[in-house]
Amino acid sequence: MTLQIQNLGRRVGQQWIVRQLNLQVDDGECVALVGPSGCGKSSTLRLIAGLDAVSEGEIFFDQTKVTHAMAAQRAVGMVFQSYALLPHLSVTANLELGLRVRGVRPSDRQQRIQAMLDLVQLQDRADVLPAQLSGGQRQRVALARALLRDPEVYLLDEPMSNLDAQLREELRPELRRLVLNRQKPVIHVTHDQHEAMAIADRIAVLHSGRIQQVATPAELYHHPETLFIAKFIGRPQINCLRPSNGVVCAVRPESLTFASEGIPCKLISREWLGSSQLLYLDSPQGPLRLSCSTAVDIPETIHVSWKASDEHHFDAASGIRLP
Amino acid sequence: MNRRFLIVLLLIWSLGPLFWQVYTSLCSDQALTQPFASIDHRWTLVHYRNVLTSNPPFWRYLVNSFIVGVSSTFFCLLLALPAAYALNRIPRKLSIISRLALVGAALFPYVLLFLGLLELARTFNLGNQLLALSLPYAALSQPLAILLLNSAFNDLPPELEDAAKLEGLSLFQRFRWILIPLISPATASTAILVFLFSWNEYPIALTWISDSNKLTLPVAMARIAGSSIYSVPYGAYAAATVLGSIPLVLLVLIFQKPIVSGLTSGAVKG
Amino acid sequence: MIALLLVPALLLLVVVFVGPLFRYAWLSFHADSVITGLIAISNGGANWLRLVQDQRYWQDLFQTLRFAGVSVGLELVLALLIALLLDQRWRGRDVVRTLALIPWALPTTVMALGWRWIFNTPYGPVDHLTKIIGLGSLNILGDPSLTWMATVWADVWKTTPFAALILLAGLQTIPGDLYEALRLEGGNALICLRRITLPLLRPYILLALLFRLAQAFGVFDLIQVLTGGGPASSTESIALYAYWNALRFLDFGYSATIIMASFILISLICVIAWIALQLIIPTHSKSRGAVSS
Repeated sequence: MTLQIQNLGRRVGQQWIVRQLNLQVDDGECVALVGPSGCGKSSTLRLIAGLDAVSEGEIFFDQTKVTHAMAAQRAVGMVFQSYALLPHLSVTANLELGLRVRGVRPSDRQQRIQAMLDLVQLQDRADVLPAQLSGGQRQRVALARALLRDPEVYLLDEPMSNLDAQLREELRPELRRLVLNRQKPVIHVTHDQHEAMAIADRIAVLHSGRIQQVATPAELYHHPETLFIAKFIGRPQINCLRPSNGVVCAVRPESLTFASEGIPCKLISREWLGSSQLLYLDSPQGPLRLSCSTAVDIPETIHVSWKASDEHHFDAASGIRLP
Repeated sequence: MNRRFLIVLLLIWSLGPLFWQVYTSLCSDQALTQPFASIDHRWTLVHYRNVLTSNPPFWRYLVNSFIVGVSSTFFCLLLALPAAYALNRIPRKLSIISRLALVGAALFPYVLLFLGLLELARTFNLGNQLLALSLPYAALSQPLAILLLNSAFNDLPPELEDAAKLEGLSLFQRFRWILIPLISPATASTAILVFLFSWNEYPIALTWISDSNKLTLPVAMARIAGSSIYSVPYGAYAAATVLGSIPLVLLVLIFQKPIVSGLTSGAVKG
Repeated sequence: MIALLLVPALLLLVVVFVGPLFRYAWLSFHADSVITGLIAISNGGANWLRLVQDQRYWQDLFQTLRFAGVSVGLELVLALLIALLLDQRWRGRDVVRTLALIPWALPTTVMALGWRWIFNTPYGPVDHLTKIIGLGSLNILGDPSLTWMATVWADVWKTTPFAALILLAGLQTIPGDLYEALRLEGGNALICLRRITLPLLRPYILLALLFRLAQAFGVFDLIQVLTGGGPASSTESIALYAYWNALRFLDFGYSATIIMASFILISLICVIAWIALQLIIPTHSKSRGAVSS
């Protein structure tokens, strides 16, 4: 199965929420959609799921055009940020509802739900209400429901952002085991770039309803196509020097090194990050961030430099990468 | 304490008139004319016996009102539930205008509609039929019902329905499995308010029903009072008042929570 | 497609609300009474001319406005006091709240009959009371200058709980730290009421005011049962007059004219009341400025 999106757009009133979106996701591939809030990433997911109407462009599941098909006919498995479990039904009943309306026989239903509960390790929680489950357990029920649908495409809408940081890390391998190994296209929407880099094969960065770049995490980090992506991907954030001649030069904090010559800087403050430290510096080129080993002692005034090959150049007006 | 005095005052103000009816209904005719004098045969149940054995007996009106109340409530919810749901799914501007119009209709003193409705009843031969009364009653409580249910639908997280769509549930199945169960508290509040309205409604029942076996409670009470202001059998009146009040007092005591939440959420939205 | 779900409810609303109003507008320009054999015959503006010259209509209009104005005014003040009382924390509050709601739930006609007994002369308790405190027997339901007050009393009794409940709902939305902040700046209870409670309560007061005003203007059940419009038509309301015209005099054309005029009037009154309220109670933003300054 290949999910293919061509020139997809959605307009509400006069405003384009999503526009000219092209994306292909292959079997067993996971693409993460990232971007600031309101960039259209959740809207894109809803278009693929068939929950909102498409204004222009096409969506294909393999060769089949599904652009205007009803949500129910698309064989899409979706996991929502809020899990969307019915509060008045038990875990089993939540899972059973979809099977029932799709006409699965009662004995089959029981068997499949049992197998699924085993898979997500919730055998002992079958009869409780969602309110009695922990956040992680609810998320696994939501996953189980999507899996029971046996979908052609998996859509994950910020499935982990309601969980605390530790639980999120614990659930990542779980997500790989349950979803990413199914050899189906997966689209994972998240605002957490670490999560995107950890899970996804490729990342699509959205800004104002448009995809700015689709690339592997490494490519995105080392060759951002736009200044927006350079700033958005990578923490601590990239340093942008004062524009000169209409060109912005940007350098990652870890590319900066101490030197006997170079730009003279004054140390403003520093943050300990455990294995490294982050220095806030004031330079004639503007404020700079430098990350270095914690073993280093820092004098009040220092000189920093970097390799020319570590520089990224962007057009100041359009934000597009210059060669 | 100052506050305790005010609370007692509030209770006397609210319940005093009712207690006076209870007291009157238990007094013999002789005692009624001399309420503060000492009389031998002060207490009696004769008024209740008279009211309950008159023709038609008083409980008939309670049954009639109950029939009208239940059928109106059912009819009203049957139309209001889908309408309240659809109101969130039409263009925003249209939805706001519709809601304003509904607020206007809810405020409207419906008594002014009696003449038009009377003509309606004549044209379609709806007079003297208890179940036919649920048509105007369902319509008159429709604005409030739609507004209350609409805000309940509004408060539901939209993902619940989205997830159900992806699972393949049709609109009817979503109503059956998701929407109706989840808004049942608001539905209960609405149902009780509609029932109360139908139970208490007077001018339309007055103009639609003339058969004394089919009178609803409010019309029957007014008919009892129809004669002169002076020299009337007040003992029997009081007994009728008490009997007519008991079902509603019970209703308020039992369903206090949904009634208050219904009126309150109506106010918060308005 | 989903908009189709609106259709049944919409149809019913049009038939019951919009239909009669158009019918009234049409009927008000027709003679339709026993004289015409209950057939509508166009008579130009004769009904409206008659309305303008009808002493009894203007009398009833005055009485209705007096009734609505006085009882809604009393009701809102009482309701505010009750709501403030019920908003405080004390033991048994929920029980009292429920009991105080009972008058609102009873059918108007049921208690109207009850009030007739309570105001009865010479056997009702009110008559006994007035005799005890030395006012003598007042013949409340027989004296035109007193009877309307009895109707106001009965109406206030029945409808105050509803208004109080709405205001209570409003009070519960006001965060307590607003009061604490004003107290810290040295405001007393009266300033709190004026600067915080009333402005923040305004939408709720507005709702209670408009709803009650419209309903009181259409008062019918209470008056018909309690006084029958008497004595000497001194408590007759517009709705009751329209009812007599249709059901007793069988003059549908004129009845429709009265109702149409009332509909226009009540719409105007609601608009005026709305504007008046905006002027009386300072808006929240103004009051916030006053608090900080």
